[in-house]
Amino acid sequence: MPKTPLYEASTQFKNWRYSPGSLAEVRASLNAAAVAVIRNTFEADEPGSSSAVSFLTPDEELLLVRLYVSKITQLCGFFRFPEEVEATAVSYLKRFYLKNTVMDWHPKNVMLTALFLATKTTNNPISLEAYTNNIPKTNASDVLDLEFLVAQSLGFEFAVWHAHRALWGIWLDLQNAPDAPPNRAAAQSEIYDAALRHVRISRLSDAELIYTPSQIALASLSIASSELANEWAESKFLTGSPSLSTLHSTLAAIRTLIESSSRPVDVESVRGVDLRLKLCKNPEKVVGSKAYLAKKAEDERKAEEKRNKKAVDVQKAMAEGDPFGEELAGRLVDYDDDDDDD
Amino acid sequence: MANRMNWLQGKTVRKNGPANASHSRSSSTPQVHSTSSTIFGGGVKDPSGRITEYSSEDDQCPVCKSDKYLEKKLRLLVSSCYHKMCESCIDRLFTLGPAPCPICNKVLRKLAFTPQTFEDLGVEKEIAIRRRIAKEFNKRLEDFPNLREFNDYLEDVEDITFNLINDVDPVGTEARIAAYREANAALTLLNTQREEAYILSLRQAEELERKERESRAEELRREEEEEREEKELGKREIIERLERAEGADAVGVVRRTKRERAEREATRKGVAPGKGPQALLRARLAAGAAAAAVKDTPHIPFQDDYYAYDDMFVLQSVYVDPPSEAVRKDREGIMRAGGYQVQEAWERAVRSAVAGLDLWPLGTDQDADGVDQGGDVIMAVA
Repeated sequence: MPKTPLYEASTQFKNWRYSPGSLAEVRASLNAAAVAVIRNTFEADEPGSSSAVSFLTPDEELLLVRLYVSKITQLCGFFRFPEEVEATAVSYLKRFYLKNTVMDWHPKNVMLTALFLATKTTNNPISLEAYTNNIPKTNASDVLDLEFLVAQSLGFEFAVWHAHRALWGIWLDLQNAPDAPPNRAAAQSEIYDAALRHVRISRLSDAELIYTPSQIALASLSIASSELANEWAESKFLTGSPSLSTLHSTLAAIRTLIESSSRPVDVESVRGVDLRLKLCKNPEKVVGSKAYLAKKAEDERKAEEKRNKKAVDVQKAMAEGDPFGEELAGRLVDYDDDDDDD
Repeated sequence: MANRMNWLQGKTVRKNGPANASHSRSSSTPQVHSTSSTIFGGGVKDPSGRITEYSSEDDQCPVCKSDKYLEKKLRLLVSSCYHKMCESCIDRLFTLGPAPCPICNKVLRKLAFTPQTFEDLGVEKEIAIRRRIAKEFNKRLEDFPNLREFNDYLEDVEDITFNLINDVDPVGTEARIAAYREANAALTLLNTQREEAYILSLRQAEELERKERESRAEELRREEEEEREEKELGKREIIERLERAEGADAVGVVRRTKRERAEREATRKGVAPGKGPQALLRARLAAGAAAAAVKDTPHIPFQDDYYAYDDMFVLQSVYVDPPSEAVRKDREGIMRAGGYQVQEAWERAVRSAVAGLDLWPLGTDQDADGVDQGGDVIMAVA
């Protein structure tokens, strides 16, 4: 039986690997579903009101998410978190918006929660007070309220394979090359720094959802120094093997992806998107709105129904003579710790 | 109040002035030390936790009727006729010489009173008698022509003991003991000497064993210390040479240093076996450990079916790696205290550098034989 390669056993490979096409598809279907739900809510509230609302497109949603990905970098710089925290938080945020939409959950709060969660999952914990006190206009509840939702959306798959670690590994392994000059690592450290910058830029793109961390790292290195990247790739695969040519085409694709996301997000256009988001976000999630109250009443009604049903059941059991139901009566059960029959 | 303050300041306070006459007088009876080491109200314990003297809250002197409730210091001693009396009664009655027991009229002396060990005085008496008898009747199986006679002798001894304990025919019994003593004086003495010699040899063997154990532990400790120092020295040497040899071949320096160390180690090991007794001791220890090891069913190591890309990289022992310098330079090992090894971090990094390098991205035509479509469908559902 062939052994499973470690990376292919990871949740990152199993559950968070997409093709560019499937990514677009997932985002489009999420967007469409959210728009349909929100439109219905608007209509229920006030018929005909939804025609005036212009909902966000998947691309606009992505733009907003990308802006908040760059915000994570700023926050991590402020808190001096290690690179691993930053990279993990970015992955969490991107993955979250493959299961949810911006119109339901604004990325501002999700970003804070994802970062806080990442500090914990990467073993760089910080106290909640220290975290929220240093971010203006943020309460502990802003972070904690979403925490379970985020963790659930991630499928509780917190382990992430990172490109920056792979880059470090490539850099170490380059010292192993047979014809390497003795202190290449020290002499050419600016190449490593440049490659690391490209890895950081790649975090703004969808690269990690499509390609493996090692490929992203190698592509980043090849932007910084194509000779080094080629030398290393050729030391790993036989010259002329199909794997090598695949790798080259993959690297080229990643390079274009990185180069296309090297421009900073245009804040003005994002501001426009954000303004429109205020009008079209899911009213059920806005505290105090009519839809929010309606949703709450609905939840309340369901809970009431459940309580009533329980009360009827208990009454029936009492009427039959045994408060614990008849099936227990004949048995030799003398005590039961668990009185929660829910 | 003033006294209390003195006590707080750690000064000694005596109630009855410095020289206490009664203190020196009462030292003739064995002094019983504090009750702080006792568990229940009664018994006094020796350091090993065994009760050496029995006493209880309900103690009452049968002579003067004073009891523990009123007289906290009441201490009852047992006479040779097995009657209890408090210390003050003993002082009062027997200070002027031998006097009759107030209970049974047997003539007693002050020095013959002993502390009580057992709650039941019957037990106390029986043990005293058995001790006395064992001293006199110490013949062994070897002293008899056959087992039958030995058994008869044992029965005789038991008979005498029983009579003494239960006061059956005391005069006749004492006469029997005297007759026996007369007849077997030489043999008794011989057996006593034998017994003493045996006890002495046991004690010597024990002492020898203890010394051996100690020297073994000392040897092990010393060896461990040496090994640790050697290791630390080796590491420091590598780092120092690397520092000095700026610009030279780092791998070569490391390899050379290691080889030199291995040679030194070998010479050291070569000398060691000559050290006679210690080597012998160690060999014996190892043999003991091997014997102690429990034989088990063949061990089947855990098999996982993961491929960790081990053929795609060769890990080196040292890399030029500025980020991990702080950890490697940390001589006290504070950063490595949790078992952290920079080699493991390196291995993980290099492994992730080669992991999944040749994976096709989803949706490329190379991968189109079903797998890709499947993946796409799943993603769309998600």
